[in-house]
Amino acid sequence: MQEEQTTRRRFIVAALAFSGVAAPLGSTWLKSAAAWAADDDAGLDELGRMAQLLFPHEGLDDRVYGGIMSTVMETTTDDQATQAMLDAAANTLDAARETSWLDLGAEEQFAVLQELQDQPFFAGIRETVRFHLYYHPDLWKHIDYPGSSKEFGGYIRRGFNDIAWLPEDE
Amino acid sequence: MARQYELNDASVVVVIGSGAGGGTLSNELAQKGIDVVCLEAGSRLTLADVVNHPPTMDARMGWHDKRIGMAPWICKTVGGTTMRWSGATPRFQEHELKALTTYGQFDGGTTLIDWPMTLDELAPYYDKAEDKMGVSGTHGIPPSAETNNYKVLAAGGKRIGYKEITSSRMAINPQARNGRPGCQQISFCNSGCAIGAKWSTLYTEIPAAELTAHFELRTQSMAVKINHDDSGRVSGVVYRDADGTLHEQKARAVAVAGNVVETTRILLNSNSSRFPDGLGNSTGHVGRNYTRHMFGAAIAKMPKPVNYHRGARQTGIIFDEQYHDPERGFAGGYELQSIALDPWGTSSSIGGWGPDHTVFTDNYTHLAGIFITGEDPPESVNRISLHATERDENDLPVPVIEYRDHPNSLAMREHSLKQSRALFESLGATHFWGGDAPVGCHNMGVARMSANPRDGVANRWGQAHDIDNLFISDGSAFPTSAAGNPTLTIVALAIRQADHIAERMTQKTL
Ligand SMILES: Cc1cc2nc3c(=O)[nH]c(=O)nc-3n(C[C@H](O)[C@H](O)[C@H](O)COP(=O)(O)OP(=O)(O)OC[C@H]3O[C@@H](n4cnc5c(N)ncnc54)[C@H](O)[C@@H]3O)c2cc1C
Ligand code: SF4
Repeated sequence: MQEEQTTRRRFIVAALAFSGVAAPLGSTWLKSAAAWAADDDAGLDELGRMAQLLFPHEGLDDRVYGGIMSTVMETTTDDQATQAMLDAAANTLDAARETSWLDLGAEEQFAVLQELQDQPFFAGIRETVRFHLYYHPDLWKHIDYPGSSKEFGGYIRRGFNDIAWLPEDE
Repeated sequence: MARQYELNDASVVVVIGSGAGGGTLSNELAQKGIDVVCLEAGSRLTLADVVNHPPTMDARMGWHDKRIGMAPWICKTVGGTTMRWSGATPRFQEHELKALTTYGQFDGGTTLIDWPMTLDELAPYYDKAEDKMGVSGTHGIPPSAETNNYKVLAAGGKRIGYKEITSSRMAINPQARNGRPGCQQISFCNSGCAIGAKWSTLYTEIPAAELTAHFELRTQSMAVKINHDDSGRVSGVVYRDADGTLHEQKARAVAVAGNVVETTRILLNSNSSRFPDGLGNSTGHVGRNYTRHMFGAAIAKMPKPVNYHRGARQTGIIFDEQYHDPERGFAGGYELQSIALDPWGTSSSIGGWGPDHTVFTDNYTHLAGIFITGEDPPESVNRISLHATERDENDLPVPVIEYRDHPNSLAMREHSLKQSRALFESLGATHFWGGDAPVGCHNMGVARMSANPRDGVANRWGQAHDIDNLFISDGSAFPTSAAGNPTLTIVALAIRQADHIAERMTQKTL
């Protein structure tokens, strides 16, 4: 039952991400990601680091995570619910230990996230990051996912049936 | 070419919805020379509007009106959810049409009944539907090309002893046919097929109907209420146009094919002093017995690359588990089908976070996927109803959707995931995820056909027991869910219903 509720929540939030947060994925997206990329000294702030620990892809540039969170913040300034969710995340993370969360070691940061994973803000941030990260061109490049294929004539001549390692027992 | 009918022309059949059920019924009637006005809430896209970016396409064609509960993932656009579907088109089986006789009621108050028709009766309509939709491996159409992901399914299936494995039974052209091209393995099938290789009523039934001059499609026309006359027969449909203006289209008969949630809403919202609980609802079944299949999903990290994003989202089915044997710990059966998801779809299906999650997504090129669809029993508590006070942007009562898995479905899912795991591990999979897939793609049962009026809403032709010129023309009319994907059966029933309507009109009994 617990399990079922979690899955249910997951999909509801995902659906929200689809219909709501998806909308700003236009020019705003490009602009702010570019602005972020230009800022060489930017270490990850709290939310950026949270995004990274949620979906850690080794070797993926930190700036992808940071860019996602700054895009979310910039494109939702008028959206009180999202802003409240982001504030709650920062405050709750910092209140978890004596030291601010960002100054903790990686393992301790992860442990705090595990403790907080049932808090209401957590699923919201997790699904927002999931959406933006897994539709991010840099992440796609990192995992060898090429995105749109119709302009290349699909995969009919580009390997849709090229698997060669399966056993041929029967 | 396309006709235009007067609002007060009471000789037309009004069809609500232009998806699998409504689009097919409209065309079948128009081909017989019966005048049809099809009301469609969504707008009309062209193939040029189809881009390979799921969020963009969801914004263009998804249904986003307010719902409470687990909303199905359906479309508001000409073509309905046939724009988003994957195209798997298996037939239902003999024992599944006799669900009550074969299984008996399950514990906990299920409401199984037998279908008021046999498979023999349905078979000629399955033939017509397969031919119309261009189902691979039927009627001289070659099998679908074997994608990498399908090859994993088939090889693993064989290793664990399965025999009934096919790449066919997909309503996607393997090669050009009837003016539509062959599949180019573009892979974004669930966001619209950019070349029209996958069957959708948008570019098959609807234009074919328009060529008859017996058909008018009214887009951005949201049906809100069905009116009836003093004798209790339906007489017209009130709809809201793009500007929000209400009109009434008079009708000789009305067919509802809004895909269960909307079909329920329009029937319940059409209550009157004569039908205080809504149309067709004298026995209280409208909205109840909602089935959406036992769904499961399995994703594995294989030892070497699969690249499951290359090629059609679904290709291929294993039928071996689609039989009834209580020894397995549950009644009814299921099918294993190959499925591929984009990175976001993969990540959301697996759910969770952290390194346990990214071991899958970081190895995206090595993933293989299985989608499981199995029979779920009707229960009267699984239902769609209307919220007593809350109303949406169209001033309609908001639908409330309640669905829970029966213990039979939980046992079936567990079995199917164990089998999926064994299948992948037989080929050396190193990581396995399996779970629920609560997306509500297959929707059935809320206005079901029944031999006895006490047990359902419609007779064996989908004609309401209470009102002889009101028809149910989508998955709502299914008495039980069977295991396989529903759309082939929706289309077969729509063709059969059109024959019945035409015959009744010829006999002057409609
Ligand atoms: C991702 C996905 C994959 C799928 N894959 C498969 C598959 O492989 N095989 C399979 O068999 N099935 C599949 N399905 C299911 C398939 O899409 C449906 O079974 C089928 O489209 C249902 O047909 P329908 O006519 O009932 O509804 P729809 O096709 O949804 O059409 C209903 C239409 O009615 C319109 N409408 C609703 N209410 C109103 C109103 N009040 N006024 C006017 N218009 C209205 C809607 O806008 C819509 O156009 C899939 C579904 C999804 C979401
Ligand atoms: S894989 Fe085939 S059916 Fe699917 S979208 Fe591409 S061309 Fe169309």
